[in-house]
Amino acid sequence: MMGVHLRNIRKVFGPVGVIHDVSMDIPAGEFAVFVGPSGCGKSTLLRMIAGLEDTSGGTISIEGTDVTWQEPAKRGVAMVFQSYALYPHLSVFENMAFSMRLKRAPKQDVHDKVMEAARILQLEEQLEKKPSQLSGGQRQRVAIGRAIVRQPKVFLFDEPLSNLDAELRVQMRLELARLHKQIGATMIYVTHDQVEAMTLADRIFVLKQGVVQQAGKPLDLYDDPDNRCVAGFIGSPAMNFLPATVLGREGDCLRVAIEGTEASLMARVSGDLPAGSRMTLGLRPEHLTTADAGVPVTVEMAEDLGGVSYLHTHMPDGREIVVEWRGSRHAGGGEAIKLTCAPEKVLVFDEQDQRIR
Amino acid sequence: MAMITNRRREVAVAMTLIAPFVLTFVLVFLYPTIRMIELSFTDAPLIGTGEWVGLANFKRLLTDNLFYTSLKNNGYFVLLTVVPTTALALAIAMMITRLKGPLQALILALFFLPYILPVSVVTQIWTWMLDFQFGVLQPVFAFFTGKPVPVFKNPYWVMPTVATVTIWWTNGFNVLLFIAGLRNISSDYYEAAALDGATRWQLFTKVTWPLLWPVTALVLTLQLILQLKIFDQIYLLSSGGPFNSSYVLLLMVYREAFQLNHGGYASAIALVLFVLIVVVSVLQFQLLRAGGNKQ
Repeated sequence: MMGVHLRNIRKVFGPVGVIHDVSMDIPAGEFAVFVGPSGCGKSTLLRMIAGLEDTSGGTISIEGTDVTWQEPAKRGVAMVFQSYALYPHLSVFENMAFSMRLKRAPKQDVHDKVMEAARILQLEEQLEKKPSQLSGGQRQRVAIGRAIVRQPKVFLFDEPLSNLDAELRVQMRLELARLHKQIGATMIYVTHDQVEAMTLADRIFVLKQGVVQQAGKPLDLYDDPDNRCVAGFIGSPAMNFLPATVLGREGDCLRVAIEGTEASLMARVSGDLPAGSRMTLGLRPEHLTTADAGVPVTVEMAEDLGGVSYLHTHMPDGREIVVEWRGSRHAGGGEAIKLTCAPEKVLVFDEQDQRIR
Repeated sequence: MAMITNRRREVAVAMTLIAPFVLTFVLVFLYPTIRMIELSFTDAPLIGTGEWVGLANFKRLLTDNLFYTSLKNNGYFVLLTVVPTTALALAIAMMITRLKGPLQALILALFFLPYILPVSVVTQIWTWMLDFQFGVLQPVFAFFTGKPVPVFKNPYWVMPTVATVTIWWTNGFNVLLFIAGLRNISSDYYEAAALDGATRWQLFTKVTWPLLWPVTALVLTLQLILQLKIFDQIYLLSSGGPFNSSYVLLLMVYREAFQLNHGGYASAIALVLFVLIVVVSVLQFQLLRAGGNKQ
């Protein structure tokens, strides 16, 4: 039982439940990402693993030891805060050495460990500086360095990149991925940014309202979401959702009528829905193609990014559909096109937003 | 050209806006201060003109035993109040920040309440409590020393007692400053330190104390200035007695100016006190700032 294991974890603040019966297994050495909209409980869950929040029910174990009621310092976890929490009165060196100074570790030990971390993070030049003299990215690295010096069993990251600008965020994301490869420790990372989740994670846990919606490898979640929440959250631009009604089965496909239009689409699902039942179709922007017959839309605006364009179109009733377009560039807007999608790419969600496969 | 007129207009507007303050400042502070400095080189009474006597007033001051007694008492009073009130305020503030909700507000209000009392009410309360015959605190003195103590009539007790009253009276404000400072320290620092395994004592010495240092330096400096200006409590509680054992510089200024009508000499003492406060407080603040940077 190595790694981090949560069993039936609950958290209530007074009468309000924020984490409901969460169980998960994070094998040792894996990079796990908790992702979800703000207020979904992902940070609370991380803080419970760190021991900064009490657990209302269930058990947390790290490397086979039940730590549910253990003090934060004894859990062998190190955390990188969103605010970095660097002590402004201490130099970079002393910030990284802080945990060892508390334990009154031998001077040589402290020096060796801090220099090692500084080398990994390329901070050797900055050791004498105060945090206020560093750039955002460097502060971020010092915060990570402080965690490395502790040699924890588990690294916890609480939205560590959200204070950085876009370019630096991409760079730090790569550095984090490299760091994980280099030191191979278990890492748990909280973010609301699904791109960070997709690029960093070995395993993503999508949370919503304190419940794990789905857990799995990034691309599994992308290709095969369990419900509409996961489908809509993973992927950028987001999946298009169209309300529709089942017309009937045709072979291994269902024919469905798109609401608000005359058009119909085929969806390859084996689960049966009776004719006339209402459901929602999920269509990824990159799976939509133009055809002679299909959902009629008007192009409102095209975002040309060079290699790829995103067409923002709307249906006769005003609902928006985003289409990814590669190859030829699109000019202007206003033209009417018809969209269709390969039956095996169409995702079907029932009225409870659960996926029909 | 337009730029220049614009600039001129801006300056004119700025001048107009600060004029009321500058005028008031010149009228009620700068001018009287300059006149007081002038006065300190004359033998003038409080009202009316006098002869220019050069440094005679200051020479006389150097041979005035009461001046040395007062200076010494001022120093003693600073020792008795500045650091103790700062330490006490920090301790109370740290306890109050641990409380939550309405209870926190209530306790804070209790500590702040004395601060809003006028000084005469404060001294009245303490005179009553410490009365030699009927004071409610006399049994406490009797318990520790064996007999009641006429605190304001005893040369050893008078300064510590006035210091205690002063701390009781003004501590609430310092508590407020410290609470504001403590609230400014992000809880992330404490959480990070807790994850690193800091003990309660280490949390204080490694996180709270250094991060609170700017506020502490401010409180110490404000207290130093305030306590060097001690007058009302001593005037009302002991009038400088017994045997001048609680005489302080401002009391001396008051006596020379308003009781003996020695305007020139009183101005000289006041000037010395003014320079003393400026020098000591600037020096202290610089020292404290340097100390803060070194940590």
